[in-house]
Amino acid sequence: MEVADEPDFWGAGGFFVDHLVAAYEADGAVYADKNLVVTLTHDPPGLRFAGEIDIANSTSVGKALQLTFPKTGDPHLDVSRLIFCDISGIRALVDSAHSLGDGRRLKLHGLPPQLQRVLDVTGWSGHPGLVLCDCDAGDR
Amino acid sequence: MTGLGQQVDTFRHEALIYAGWPEFIAGTVPFILDGVRAGEPVLVVESVDKIQMLRSALGSDADSVVFGNMAEIGANPARIIPAWRDFVDRHGDTGKGLRGIGEPIWNGRTDDELVECQRHESLLNVAFGKGRPWWLLCPYDAAQLAPAVLDEARRSHEFVREGDVARESPAFRGIAASGARFDVSLQEAPARAVAVTFDALSLLKLRAGVSRYAIHAGMGTHAAAEFVTAVNEVATNSVVHGHGGGTLRIWRTESDVVCEIRDAGDYDHPLGDRCIPEADADPRGLWLANQLCDLVQVRSTGAGTTVRLHKQIDPRPRLRLLTDSEDSRRLQ
Repeated sequence: MEVADEPDFWGAGGFFVDHLVAAYEADGAVYADKNLVVTLTHDPPGLRFAGEIDIANSTSVGKALQLTFPKTGDPHLDVSRLIFCDISGIRALVDSAHSLGDGRRLKLHGLPPQLQRVLDVTGWSGHPGLVLCDCDAGDR
Repeated sequence: MTGLGQQVDTFRHEALIYAGWPEFIAGTVPFILDGVRAGEPVLVVESVDKIQMLRSALGSDADSVVFGNMAEIGANPARIIPAWRDFVDRHGDTGKGLRGIGEPIWNGRTDDELVECQRHESLLNVAFGKGRPWWLLCPYDAAQLAPAVLDEARRSHEFVREGDVARESPAFRGIAASGARFDVSLQEAPARAVAVTFDALSLLKLRAGVSRYAIHAGMGTHAAAEFVTAVNEVATNSVVHGHGGGTLRIWRTESDVVCEIRDAGDYDHPLGDRCIPEADADPRGLWLANQLCDLVQVRSTGAGTTVRLHKQIDPRPRLRLLTDSEDSRRLQ
């Protein structure tokens, strides 16, 4: 069956740039590129992600994470606005969880369905370094 | 010739060629009962109607058998080896035998599915041929399948059983050749396919384009997100292993959205897309694609690699039995 009007594959430009700029200006960003902004959160202490992580930025994001994590306790990651995260992005999270040492873990808030699905399928959903946080903070 | 009651001392991959239900029962029930009576774990992966038939033929002995629905487990044939791997690993090397029955090929498989099922049958030899002993019987319905399909079964199985007699198959291609590069060529992409090139920096726009295409074709948003995730990982493999990028083609058929990704890299890991990832460093891209797509076709010639992903637009007519439990598992 032919489709008469194929959508223009690349579509119009301008993805989440406005959203990202707003996030960047609203708070002190510890990492920003044109697809992702990471900002500090204070209560609970941790980071908030907005945008997308893929092979183009996962290495830089991983390095930034390890530099900005608090020195003690479990960092909280608000990923509710992480629209897309590929395997290399999850691997960056897993590696940074390992680098915390001392049994410290990354506590994830607001896991989007895409990320949950990838974690399940790749066998990382039971990873000891990543846990879903059930505290209310940071879910705003 | 190995009698049914015997225990095997290597992996024994045996095709059972039958015609019609009485021959199916005659070929499978004694095999199952011999295993049950020897205390061997038995896993039967068959269609729902054959499972019902076997249950009634086995009576109370059916309680000692684990049944799996091939339409579910083997919808994408690349998911079957991990299921057998799980069965074999779960029972460890207890000194007891293990038995399995698996019928991945039936009349009704699409041409692409059939080819990948045939590749799967060969790859079983690579996956298990040098490991612990167990016995896998693969029924082929001669009344329903083309003679060429039976000929290929004689090449992919070391033993062939017809009637009461099991013989070594003179046509068996051997373990080494079973894992050789798969050279059954793919049908040409249709001229109407949309073609774009990509690199690391265009993956975000690529994902948006694939998502728009799939949703426009009528795919649900959840399925489209799965498809986009799979396409992204395969395209990422091109970025990392295929000289920085590649070409993506996307088109729809009556039932599926198909996305083909080509690059100039090489890929020669016959079981690479069906090894259960364990260590953090284990590759996961093609594994993920197989879990999220209905069919994944990988061809690598040494001069380039092509991966073709198929996802059904509306899975309902084909009764894909994806359980909710798979989606409802949550990060603990």
